[in-house]
Amino acid sequence: MNNLRTYQLGLGIAGAVLMLLVPYLFPVMYIHLAVEILIYALFAVSFNLLFGYSGLLPFGHAAFFGAGAYVAALIFKNFPGMSLLLTLLITPLFCAGIAAVIGFFCIRLKGAYFALISLAFQMFLYAVAMKWRSVTYGDDGMTFNRPDLHLPILGTVSMGSIQNVYYLSLAIVAIGVLACYLFLKTPLGNSVVCVRERDIRASFLGYNVFLTRYIAFLVSGILAGLAGGLFALFVGFVNTACIDINMSMSVVLMTVIGGTGHFLGPILGTAFYVVFQDWISSLTKHWWILMGTFFIVVVLYLQGGLISLVSIKKIRLLVSRWSKEDGNHIENR
Amino acid sequence: METILKIGNLYKDFSGLEVLSGITVEIHGGERHAIIGPNGAGKSTLFNVITGLYKPSRGKIYFLDKDITGLPAHKIARLGISRSFQIINIFPLMTVYENVRNAIVSRFNCRFNCTTFLHRHRKIDQETNRVVELLALGDVRDTLASELSYGRQRHLELALTIARDPILILLDEPTAGLNSEETRSAVQLIRQVTEGRALIMVEHDMEVVFGLADRITVLNGGALLATGTPNEIRDNEEVRKAYLGRK
Repeated sequence: MNNLRTYQLGLGIAGAVLMLLVPYLFPVMYIHLAVEILIYALFAVSFNLLFGYSGLLPFGHAAFFGAGAYVAALIFKNFPGMSLLLTLLITPLFCAGIAAVIGFFCIRLKGAYFALISLAFQMFLYAVAMKWRSVTYGDDGMTFNRPDLHLPILGTVSMGSIQNVYYLSLAIVAIGVLACYLFLKTPLGNSVVCVRERDIRASFLGYNVFLTRYIAFLVSGILAGLAGGLFALFVGFVNTACIDINMSMSVVLMTVIGGTGHFLGPILGTAFYVVFQDWISSLTKHWWILMGTFFIVVVLYLQGGLISLVSIKKIRLLVSRWSKEDGNHIENR
Repeated sequence: METILKIGNLYKDFSGLEVLSGITVEIHGGERHAIIGPNGAGKSTLFNVITGLYKPSRGKIYFLDKDITGLPAHKIARLGISRSFQIINIFPLMTVYENVRNAIVSRFNCRFNCTTFLHRHRKIDQETNRVVELLALGDVRDTLASELSYGRQRHLELALTIARDPILILLDEPTAGLNSEETRSAVQLIRQVTEGRALIMVEHDMEVVFGLADRITVLNGGALLATGTPNEIRDNEEVRKAYLGRK
């Protein structure tokens, strides 16, 4: 067990160092890819809080991602002087408001009904983004300049350079993902899982099923909105593509491909999805067919997702084998 | 003895089909009360109405002089009424420890606590372990609930029911599906863990009913047939005709 902890810690530190060094190790093109992975990873983690941990499958999760992107974009465009960090604080709060309204109607339903009504709300927001041209510029979208980041000690950090965007995204995504991870470790996080496992039993133990799910929905909306805000900052352009059904489906694919049973599953899935998409879309413009095929294969033959290939059991087995070999080695001497 | 649960003229119908018609029962503090009757007599429905799964069509339910008619299940549970289920209802993909802990978290009102870590709660951990040991589940503490034998799952069901430290316990056929030896140990356990609390149980095993109950209520076709001590019920002519048969 102690060995396992050491290896886990080592792996974590190595991963963190690697992520910090990405701008120095890779050409600019890959840094863009890395930022994309980070942002979608936060989106997928927020999605999995609902799907994996609350047992609710939303087909319209892009509603929050898109709303976050639009809110941030509107602030960037109309209030260029506003502090970047303040914008990234307002954005998720605004999305919490949207989630509070949508969740109030969705949470009563389960299964296919929940999936479809969440999709309906997302399509409604999509229609707003499409038709309210005077504000959102419809499907033309809107461009804006990335505002600079003003920090107390470091001074002004220009968001013109992709390296800085990368580091800001890394910091915020890390905070978001960590917050979600810690949330699940609290009694409230346990309540969410408990209600998912068997809602009737939970309610007879005194759990308010509706309120518990509602809180999970709010947290998920906040994190998705934060991801959307970062997305707007990263791309410097927002159009209806970030609030349409493709975006909702992408996050389903990322999460399921990565695996919903483990906290890191959606992150791994996102990394795979973004890199795989980047690669195959350079080969063919019909890349959706390949991605779809891969998704079907995962759903049919690898239900735990990619993360199940590197599951903790297998790592434990490997570790014990390694330490045994080490032991033999010493004995042989 | 003081009355803790008062059911007054309770009706429940499902789109025209009357399942409970005019049930009036009083449960005293600390008594063991059995509800018997043939299939379809409305026993489980009565449980479901008391615990808030269904709303009654008419009638009132008072618990400790508080009107709980039509309250949602979680609010009734928090007042101190716990129940078990006829079909085992546990958290299958959680360990025995985690199952019991869910109940303890709720009992300590930490359900919405998001400022501390669950595994750091010493009090919750201690109390969970106490209940796990009380129900003789210590050796399977870290086993998934779904991997337990049927008999052990029944124990876990009972553990979840009593873990909230309830005032009133409702057990819905707690010995269903158990063999005679398991039934004996289950009865022993029920007797032990419900000591000093009020208990209402639905049970088909007459040996269990007459061995355990202080008073018995007989339902038939949704109506109250008789309430009384085991001896009174045994001697009741109507009950014999409807349910017990000649013996």
